[in-house]
Amino acid sequence: MLSEILTIVIVGAMISAIYALIAIGFTMIFGVGGILNLTHGALLMLSAYAYLVAQPYIGRLGGVITGVLVAALASYGVYMGLVRYIEEHVVITFMATIMAALAIQEAITMGFSQQARVLEPMVPGSIAVAGTRMQYDQLLAFVVSWVLIGLLWYYVTNTKNGRAILATSMSERGAIFTGVDLPQVRRQTWLIAGAFAGVGGLFIGRLQQTSPEMWLEPLTLAFIIVIIGGVGSIKGSIIAAYLIGYIETLTVELIGAPYRVVVALLIIIAVIMYRPEGLYGREYLE
Amino acid sequence: MSNEYDRSGEPVLQRFTREFLGEPNRYQITAVGVALLALFTLPFWAAQYLYVFALASIWAIFAMGWDIISGHTNYISFGHSALSGGAAYMTGILVHNVNPDMAMYITFPLSILAAVAIGLLFAVPTLRLEGPYFSLITLLGVLVLTQLVYIYGEYTGGELGITAVSTFTYDLTSLYYYTLIPMLLIGAVLVVVSQSNVGRILRAIGENEAAIESSGIDTTKFKLWSFLLSAITMGIGGAMLAHFYGNVTPSTVLVIDRSLEMVAIAVIGGMGTIAGPIGGAFVFIFLRDEVLTVFGSTGRWLALWLIVLFFLVFLRDGIFPFIWSRIGSIGGGRDE
Repeated sequence: MLSEILTIVIVGAMISAIYALIAIGFTMIFGVGGILNLTHGALLMLSAYAYLVAQPYIGRLGGVITGVLVAALASYGVYMGLVRYIEEHVVITFMATIMAALAIQEAITMGFSQQARVLEPMVPGSIAVAGTRMQYDQLLAFVVSWVLIGLLWYYVTNTKNGRAILATSMSERGAIFTGVDLPQVRRQTWLIAGAFAGVGGLFIGRLQQTSPEMWLEPLTLAFIIVIIGGVGSIKGSIIAAYLIGYIETLTVELIGAPYRVVVALLIIIAVIMYRPEGLYGREYLE
Repeated sequence: MSNEYDRSGEPVLQRFTREFLGEPNRYQITAVGVALLALFTLPFWAAQYLYVFALASIWAIFAMGWDIISGHTNYISFGHSALSGGAAYMTGILVHNVNPDMAMYITFPLSILAAVAIGLLFAVPTLRLEGPYFSLITLLGVLVLTQLVYIYGEYTGGELGITAVSTFTYDLTSLYYYTLIPMLLIGAVLVVVSQSNVGRILRAIGENEAAIESSGIDTTKFKLWSFLLSAITMGIGGAMLAHFYGNVTPSTVLVIDRSLEMVAIAVIGGMGTIAGPIGGAFVFIFLRDEVLTVFGSTGRWLALWLIVLFFLVFLRDGIFPFIWSRIGSIGGGRDE
C-alpha cells in the first residue's frame, strides 16, 4: 500500500515535470503575443526526431543539443515564416498553426514512415527508489525541468532582455512606452518556448513514443494545463502541470490508461465552468 | 439593411433574391445557374469522377455544418468529426449490434439524434465561454470519442470498425444523385439561415461579440441554436458517409484529421458563406483524391495542408467569395 502510494508520488512527479516544460513554452507565447501556438506539439516531435537522426552520429549529448536547437529554430521559423504575417488575426493564426502542425506531421510521415520509433536513452540505466524502478532518464527529466524553470525565472526577473518579456506579457502598450523592442521580444519568446518544447519533446519521445502522431496529445495537454493554470501565467502552468500529471497517474493506476483523456476532459469542463480564468488568471495583469 | 417601403412594388422573385443573396447581378445569377447545371449534368461529361464528386457532396455537407457555427461566429470547432463520426457510429452500432437489416428510416433519425446529443453535451457548457476554450473542448471531444470507440471495441469493432453497413447503391450515377440532392437541399436551408437576420447576428458575433451582447441580444441563445442546426447537418452527413463507404472506422469518420479537413474545406471555399464550402469541398476532395495523388499517398496530404496554409495567409476569404466579387464587378463595378 505504502509502496504503491510512493510509486504514484514518484511517477507522477516525473511526468508532471515534463508537462511543466511543455506548458511553459505554450503559455509564454500566449502571454507575450496573445497567440495560441498549436504547432507547439509538432515542435516536440521535431526535437525527438532530430535526436533520433543525430544521436547515432554525434552521440547522446550531441543528439540532445541538436534536438533542442532544431525545436528552437523551428519555433523561430514558424513565427518568422508564418505567424508574423497573420498574428493580428487571432482566429486565422489559431487555424493556421494547427494546419502547419498537420503539415509537419505529414512531412515526418514521409521521411520516417508511420512506424513508431524507439529513442536511445540519454542516460542509460535505471535505479530502484522505494521499490519503484525508474530509468535515469525519468530522473533527468525531473532535474532538468526544475533547472530550466529556475533559469527562466532568473532570466525574466534579473536580465534586461528577460524583463522585457515579462513587461510585454503584463502590458504590451506599457512595454512599448518604456522602450521595449516588441518584435525582438516576440522573436526571443518563440526561441525560448521552442527550446523548452525541444527539451520536453526529447523526454516525451524517449519515455512515451516517437511517432508522427505524437504531437497531438502533448499539445492538448499543454492546452489543458494552460487553461487550468490560467493563460499567460508561468506559475499557474507549473502548478497545473503537476495537478494534471498526478491526476493522470492516478487515473492510469486506478481506472485504466484509456480513460486518461476522459478524466482530463471532465476536469477541464469543471474548471472552465467555475473558474474560466484558471487558477492564476493572468496574474501579471493584476 | 433595407427600407421596407422601397420594395413594396418589387416582383416576388427579385425581392427574394435581394433578401437572400444580396443583390446579385445577372452575371452572378448566370454563374450560379451554370454551376448548378454543371452539377446536375456531371454524369454526362465527367463520368469517371462520379465517385469522387459523390464523396465531395458529403464533405460539402460537413463543411457547411462547420461553417454555420464556426465560419460565422468565429467559434472555431476543431472537433466537428465528433458529431459526424458519432452519427456514423450510431448507424454502424445499430446495424452491427441490434439488427443487420435495420431500415434506414430508423437508423437515420437515431444517428442524427446521436449527433445532436453529442453536440449539446459539448456545446452547452462551453458556448458561453470565449473562443479558445470552445476549440479546446471540441478538440478533446474527438479524442474522447475516439478513445471510447477503442474502449468499447466489443460494440464498435475497435480499430477495424464496423463493415456491415449497407451501401446506398452500386450504381455510380444514382450514388452521385443520392448525395448531391440532399447536399443541395441542406445547402439551400443553410444559405437561407445564413442570409437571414440570424446569419447576420452570427456573423456579427464573429466580429464583435461584446457589442452584440450589449445591444441586448442573448448571443448564447443564437450560438446554441446554430450549433444545433450544425449538429443536425453533421448527423445527416455522418449517417450518409456510413452508407457511402459501407463501413465505419475511426480513421475514416472520426479522428481529428477529419475535423481539420472540414476546416480546410471551409477555408479554401470561403468561411462564413455556406456556398463557399460547397465549392471548397469539390475542389478539396478533387485535389485530394485525383490531382495531388501524384505526390504519393502521404505527399498529397502535405501538399494539401500547405495549400490550406497558403489560403489562410494570402487568400483569407477563400476562392468563391473572390470569384463572386470578381463576377459581380463585371459591367459597372459594384462594391461587395
